[in-house]
Formats: sequence, C-alpha cells, structure tokens
Amino acid sequence: MSEARKVLREALILGAAAVLTAAAVRVPLIKRFARGEFRESFFQAGDYPGIRMIALEEAEDLWRAGQTAVLDARAEEAFKRGHVPGARNVPAAGTGGTIPADLLGAARDRTLVVYCEGGDCLSSLILARRLHDEGFRDIRVFGGGWEEWRKAGLPEATAERDGTGKKDDGQE
Amino acid sequence: MVRNRTALLLFRLVLGGLFVYAGAIKALEPLDFAQSIRNYDIVGQALSFFAALVLPWLEILAGVFLIAGVWTRGAALVISGLLVFFIALTVVTMVRGLDIDCGCFGAVDRKAGVSVILEDLAMLYLGLCVLCQKGAPAQKGTGALEALE
Repeated sequence: MSEARKVLREALILGAAAVLTAAAVRVPLIKRFARGEFRESFFQAGDYPGIRMIALEEAEDLWRAGQTAVLDARAEEAFKRGHVPGARNVPAAGTGGTIPADLLGAARDRTLVVYCEGGDCLSSLILARRLHDEGFRDIRVFGGGWEEWRKAGLPEATAERDGTGKKDDGQE
Repeated sequence: MVRNRTALLLFRLVLGGLFVYAGAIKALEPLDFAQSIRNYDIVGQALSFFAALVLPWLEILAGVFLIAGVWTRGAALVISGLLVFFIALTVVTMVRGLDIDCGCFGAVDRKAGVSVILEDLAMLYLGLCVLCQKGAPAQKGTGALEALE
C-alpha cells in the first residue's frame, strides 16, 4: 500500500473512531434529539426555568416601561459603538465569568433583559445562564439582539451619549 | 518545510495539545458548540447538532495520536484538513458580513475574523510540516518518548 493511501486510511479510521466515540458518549443527548428536542433551539429550557426567550416587541415594551435592567452581553468595544439606551454592559467574556457585585445585590425576582449582537449570538445565553446560576429567576433573552433593535429604528446610545453605559445598574 | 526531528516533535506536542484542549472544551458543552456551528448559517439544525457531537472527538483523537506519535501523519492530515476547512469557513463568514463568535475554543466570545485566520494558518503550517515529514515516526520506532531521548 502506498504511503499516501496509508495516511488517508489512518485519517479515515480516526474519523470513524470520532463518530463512534461521540455516539457512545452522547447517547442520552442523541435520544433527546431523536425525540424532537433541539429542533428549534439548542437551549435546554428545562434546565433553566427562569430564562425565557423574547421577541423585539416584548423587549421594547419592557425597556419603555423602565422597570427592567437591560444587560448588554457583548464585548466593551461593541457596546461603546452603540447599545440600547440605559443598558448596562456586562460582557459574557473577558471578566472571568463573574457578575459585578452591585448587580448581584439586586432582588432575585427582578426582571432582567439580556441581549447580544443578534443572529443567535451566544453571549446573551451565557450571561443569562450565569445570572440564573446566581439565583435570578426572571431573565428574558432578547434573541434578535442589537442587530434587530437597530434595524427596527429604535433609539440608540453610544458610550459618549449615554455616559459610561452604567446608568442602570440593575438595582431597584 | 522543517525537517529537524526535535522541531517536528515540538510541533506535534504544541499542535496536538491545542487540539486536545479545543476539542475537550467543546466536547463538554456540545449544545453551545452546536449553536456556534448553527450561527455560521451554512448547515441546518440537525447537521449542526451531529457535527457538534463528532468534531470535538475528532479533534481530541487526532491531537492525542499526534502527541503520542501513533499514526502521526494520519492525525496530521485530519488536523490540517480541519484547519483548511476552518480557514475557508472564516473567510466565507467574513465575506458574508456575519458578526458571530468563531466557536474555536468553546463558548469564549471571539469573533470569526482575521486573527482567527492567522492563528489557523500558523497551526496549518505546523500540521503540514508534520504531514510532509519523510516516513512516519511510528514506522521507525521514534515515538514521542523515544524522540526525547
């Protein structure tokens, strides 16, 4: 057998081994998929009862009511370029996975709206789960995110026009 | 291409280690990784799900084999192939103007962009050096431990 064919055969066997290993290790997850879970979203809603996905209209209503802490899970640079007015920047990455202490002081039943860039970005879900782990029980993830907010022509703020973006610190 | 045996051993350890690490992170959170794949908007929900289950294990196995010096060139072929795919995917993503997390190392918030491509190109160079070496180390009985002696 030529060397090239031997190398290719090794690579193919590694691929097959990966398929078999994944199938063996993830039997429960595959069964759940076969039952119809994860067809709409990979979010395991059952594990996080306090987290709910919301659409633009609900996000806008909550924001206009002004009783909700709006949290932007994107990186600081993206937040500075533009964000939902009054939103607070709590990057899902780069902060060691910690929630700011003052935010942790907020009542656990307070409604929190979390968003990130949009297009099924992950940051808002990561932050939402972290908040859920801290005991918050009314976390609403605005899936459309910043992209949808902007496209809808809703008010925007930048770091300059909105101070530090820390107007709403999540406390009552 | 580098032919020095010590350098090639170092390449194998670095590249193998990176792939084991990247694979392990993703294998621990398959649903997060599935979402990352879905965000590229190239394959559907089902394929994203199954790719998220298999890809991490392919990375782990190829990395382990590369480190161990077993089927070294086969493992290097897998890793190089994956890197070529990742680079092409990132380029297409940038051209399409998608602003998404790359999903390279699990759920770490990192955009699919130029830095990811440069990083992948550097790893691809290491992979191709190992792939193009004359004779697999395992054939000559020069596995990782022996090469260190």
